[in-house]
Amino acid sequence: MWLGYASVNAYARGGSAVSTEASALREAATAVVDFAERSEVLFGKKATALSSLCVLSKECSEKDWDGAGALPVDLTAVKSAADFVRALPESLPLPEFAVDPDGAVSLDWIQSKTRLFSVSISASNRLAFAWLDGSDRGHGVAKFTGDQIPRRILEGIRGIVGHGHAAVAA
Amino acid sequence: MATLQSQLDEIVADDEDLSRFLTSSSQFNSVGIKLGAFLPNPKDRETSVFRHASEPRLQLWQLASEMVAGERTVHGAAIVKAQHVRAAKLTVLASEPPPRHAAIVGWPWIEADPDEQKAQQKELAALIASQATFVPR
Repeated sequence: MWLGYASVNAYARGGSAVSTEASALREAATAVVDFAERSEVLFGKKATALSSLCVLSKECSEKDWDGAGALPVDLTAVKSAADFVRALPESLPLPEFAVDPDGAVSLDWIQSKTRLFSVSISASNRLAFAWLDGSDRGHGVAKFTGDQIPRRILEGIRGIVGHGHAAVAA
Repeated sequence: MATLQSQLDEIVADDEDLSRFLTSSSQFNSVGIKLGAFLPNPKDRETSVFRHASEPRLQLWQLASEMVAGERTVHGAAIVKAQHVRAAKLTVLASEPPPRHAAIVGWPWIEADPDEQKAQQKELAALIASQATFVPR
């Protein structure tokens, strides 16, 4: 695969085109290289995030990990959280992870103490979310099938990270 | 007014500081305390806290070692005033033994819809966390 990528990359970056066909081919190759490079960067960030989720899961794999009777992290929730991260559009920042006392995985986008969006992913296919945005706040529940993030949640995250309005229909 | 084993009043005053010990680095970040740190335990439906301020620091960490640590690492404490918990429409009750222990109770509990229950709890926990201060160990 990398040999193929290298060949296309060399062609895309290389020499002088002498025909319309060659020029079109070079443009196509350039597009493939750009896509591959974007994907690599994206995969790298998501891979790092998923790795940190894995480390956290191990940290919270025993019951009472918080010293106050917390349940161990739910492995189905961890898998769903990984699916959620993979499904996140590349335009959104990746979340921070935490484990809740009930074993769910929490994904947090925190801009400040009073400006945040948080989604909890449990073994069920429904996501519990809540947000603070200054004096505005709210919560909601949305279904997650594993490959498409609910629109209300995407809008909520965008609102908090500064790409839109924070108001979310609960 | 009645006093407890710890010699504290039975009623937790609004201006009292409550400490929630943090055993995972994922419970806080550079901004502050994450809301998950205040979510209730699903078994007893309460959030366990200790009636202690950020000072004296030595006594705070001694309390953490005795009550929470065991094999765990205590990364710090989230400190919040009782009045901020009450502002979220939750209740703070003294709950000894152990000494200085208190419980945040009154969390939404909806047997028929645990996901809605969780969402409501998250919103209230976020309110509390927004008023909390992180004291690193």
